[in-house]
Amino acid sequence: MMNKLIFGRYIPGDSLIHRLDPRAKLVASFYFIGIIFLANNWQSYLFLGLFTLFAIMLSKVDLSFFIRGVRPLIWLISFTVILQMLFTRGGTLYWSWGIFSLSEYGIQNGLFIFCRFILIIFMSTLLTLTTPPLSMSDAIESLLGPFRVVHVPVHEIALMLSIALRFVPTLMDETEKIMNAQRARGVDFGEGNLIQKVKAVVPLLIPLFVSSFNRAEDLATAMEARGYRGGEGRSKYRLLKWSGRDTAVIIAFAAVTVVLVFLRS
Amino acid sequence: MDIRFEKVSYVYQPNTPFEQRALVDIDLAIEEGSYTALVGHTGSGKSTLLQHLNALLKPTDGQVTIGDRVITPTTDNKNLKPVRKKVGIVFQFPEAQLFEETVAKDIAFGPQNFGVKEEEALKLAAEMLNLVGLDESFLERSPFELSGGQMRRVAIAGVLAMQPEVLVLDEPTAGLDPAGRKEMMEIFWRLHKDRNMTIVLVTHLMDDVANFANYVYVLEKGQVVNSGTPQAVFQNVEWLKEKQLGVPAASAFAEKMQEKGARFDQLPLTETELADWIIREAGGTVHDE
Repeated sequence: MMNKLIFGRYIPGDSLIHRLDPRAKLVASFYFIGIIFLANNWQSYLFLGLFTLFAIMLSKVDLSFFIRGVRPLIWLISFTVILQMLFTRGGTLYWSWGIFSLSEYGIQNGLFIFCRFILIIFMSTLLTLTTPPLSMSDAIESLLGPFRVVHVPVHEIALMLSIALRFVPTLMDETEKIMNAQRARGVDFGEGNLIQKVKAVVPLLIPLFVSSFNRAEDLATAMEARGYRGGEGRSKYRLLKWSGRDTAVIIAFAAVTVVLVFLRS
Repeated sequence: MDIRFEKVSYVYQPNTPFEQRALVDIDLAIEEGSYTALVGHTGSGKSTLLQHLNALLKPTDGQVTIGDRVITPTTDNKNLKPVRKKVGIVFQFPEAQLFEETVAKDIAFGPQNFGVKEEEALKLAAEMLNLVGLDESFLERSPFELSGGQMRRVAIAGVLAMQPEVLVLDEPTAGLDPAGRKEMMEIFWRLHKDRNMTIVLVTHLMDDVANFANYVYVLEKGQVVNSGTPQAVFQNVEWLKEKQLGVPAASAFAEKMQEKGARFDQLPLTETELADWIIREAGGTVHDE
């Protein structure tokens, strides 16, 4: 079940994109999501699409991964697109029935929203597919660094994040194991009516919570035993290094913005 | 009830870069009333194979026959409950599956899922608790305030309460102290002997295999590389060492004796067999109990 999830997964590789500083990738992805909203005609969307494709090609990750990443969200996308199409008026009217209508602007808006969704998903999938979770949390720690001045507990946030990320697969395995054990005891997951379905989750959730508590306790003990006393005065093992190509990426995104502003109508 | 594997293969996450072949062309038979051991390295596919025994996993190729049910890659996920009732699986560290407020309710949970009335299920719970060596005073306690070993017993009682015909044990004694380990293994042995329960044991402990099993399958990289009676499989000490599987302590000791000149017709597997041989060699007579 969970094996099918591609979104949020890391695929080891050695492409240009893989080697980028995670901070550059993180900033660039968020920035990209921001500038998508600048696009408002087909030229600008085409340009962004080509740019995304170029980035995907640079990463040397198979395109099929990205398409699979979209799949779980396809219902949300279709729902939004269809609503947009049916409720926007303006331009030539092709068909209408009561409050529903199909107009030129509606179709255009629907298509744009579709493109937006796809581009956002592709870009964020590109980020997660090419960045190991731990580098991601390093990047977040580093980027949040300035907020320390206003007493944001940056180290604690980063620590929680990296522990959480580390335990996602472990918890997934655990979930699968407990699920199997309960299925062997005659539990049907995902069958029957809503109430039965919710009830079937109890024998899964309680053991998961209990084991999380136990795990947290063990981990805290092990950390203290190894001399962990909080973030103050700690050195870092994994150092992030900003290099020329990271600067190049930022410049490229700035250039994209300029082109986009020029293309938009 | 027999369980048969015919050319069973299993692939995890097929058609993705994470694809992983876990089982390759497995042929195997678990006869009714037998005590079968599955041994092999970590990652040899034992646990995957074990999940086929009650259709938690369906083969990606080949077929599994469980009693009169045939499980093929296209078998529907519905109506598998009768199979799961007949084949009880005790997973590794089964204490992780406890969740009810009281021990009694947790043990009764399995039978109730298979349609046993609450009252009857609770009666079964008391009976099973005795069977695994805990007394009635535990019935109303929360499973989470018990010790690790006691939790393990409760979990095993929960599987036994379903009254399966086949009991599958995935390293049931891992992490237990020597006394607990011995006691557990004896409980399973009694179930096998007295109630004629078919037992499938997955283990790394060759002594348990030698002491209890009457048939062994050796797995490596998802394939059955050797099978037979423990007597037959453990004769080839060199081969087992090569596969880094180890031999029972008695056999290892006998092998050392062989190097020093002792001559065995067949390597003894258990301490009793070895002691018998020594007594006979010394000219004494062995009295059978």
